[in-house]
Amino acid sequence: MKKIIAALLILIPAFSITAGQSVSDPLMSKCLSATGPSARYLKDYRVQLGQGTADRDFRYKAKMSLWKNTKYRFTLCTADNSNGVLILTIWDEENKVILSSIDPETGKAYSYVDFICNKSGVYQVGFDFTGGQSGLGVSIVSMIQ
Amino acid sequence: MKGRVILSVVFAVVSVSACRNNPGKAGEFVLADSDSLSAFSSSDLMTNEDVIRSFSAPLETANLFQVMGEPFTQEYLASSIDANRLGGSFEKALWLGILGADLGYMNVYGKTGTSMDLLASIKKLAEDLRVGQFFDFETIKRLSLNNSRLDSLLYLSIDSYNKIDKYLREDNRSQLSSLMIIGAWIEAQYFATQVMKTSPDDLLRDRIGEQKLFLADLIKLAEPYCNSDDQFGQLCKDLRDIFSKYETVKITYTQGEPVKSEKDDGLLITQTESSRVEMTDQQLGEIIDIMGMVRNKLISRN
Repeated sequence: MKKIIAALLILIPAFSITAGQSVSDPLMSKCLSATGPSARYLKDYRVQLGQGTADRDFRYKAKMSLWKNTKYRFTLCTADNSNGVLILTIWDEENKVILSSIDPETGKAYSYVDFICNKSGVYQVGFDFTGGQSGLGVSIVSMIQ
Repeated sequence: MKGRVILSVVFAVVSVSACRNNPGKAGEFVLADSDSLSAFSSSDLMTNEDVIRSFSAPLETANLFQVMGEPFTQEYLASSIDANRLGGSFEKALWLGILGADLGYMNVYGKTGTSMDLLASIKKLAEDLRVGQFFDFETIKRLSLNNSRLDSLLYLSIDSYNKIDKYLREDNRSQLSSLMIIGAWIEAQYFATQVMKTSPDDLLRDRIGEQKLFLADLIKLAEPYCNSDDQFGQLCKDLRDIFSKYETVKITYTQGEPVKSEKDDGLLITQTESSRVEMTDQQLGEIIDIMGMVRNKLISRN
């Protein structure tokens, strides 16, 4: 009996340290793992949207600067019980679409987009879920070397 | 009795880990009303202030150094900052930003195990500004010492700074959050200009010139506080002096359509549109000089 308790007491700090090492948000942690070994975290967007309509513009928008001669990776992760899949579109300052994570012809949603930036500037990033459905997702922006 | 004791110990283990991992269960979320979301998501986030309030710029600069093959240099760090010395909230907020950039530089180079003094200084400054609760010192320290999971470390470091920035603004101390952002930018730009002096490189030259795009917005961020006291007034003057060196730097653009290709589960988009910086050697030299002067002045106030 004493041995069992002693073993469990030894496990407490080990278990606690392991638990503390990870990022506390499971979806964020999962998405960080999905960015790949060559990716370096820069920023993240946490997107939570209710049911919308398919014909509406992207409902979550923000601005970010992207720098020339940098390869960025936008990783898109959707929580398991979401109805839609997280998608991304980026526009430049003239409102021209630079990239989209969904193929408009096939409807295929890609889980990440690598972007080789050759024009420094402020870009608009837009997120939504496929078909304007509800969902929770995380997008991580990383640099790739 | 034996069973109860074992159960109690197991419960304690689970409780400890549950406390650490409490927020944000991915599988359980409550969806907000879509009308309120659209009101929140569109207009509120569309200002350029959103772009400036990013602590990732020093990481991008450090990443560029690595692309260039530039080795890590301890001398670039603001090691003269002593967080234990007396100072007002102005200096502390500025130094917090400067040291945040130093931390990013060290992390990108994997110098995580040697950043303990720097982390201790950041913790002290954050506590002095009453925002220490947002800097996850213990976890960051543990990840740094383990020298692993760089992405988690970068995430936690930037997330801590973002939380401090948000809290300061909510607590009507926006001037301090602005100082943090200005400090981080000045330090990252100092790194870039110092590396340019010793290892001239076209990519870095462009990056220094492109900061013109960012600097005008940074000055706007400082402007509401320029007349609040002499220290802020001087900082605003320094930023305007830096901008004066950029005034004749030109950035031109060439049009083009993005090229798309599929790879595995992802896409690769290559932008053919491009930007080009036109900056003379004299302009660059003046920018290098003024960045060194301003940054060294800010850390020597120590």
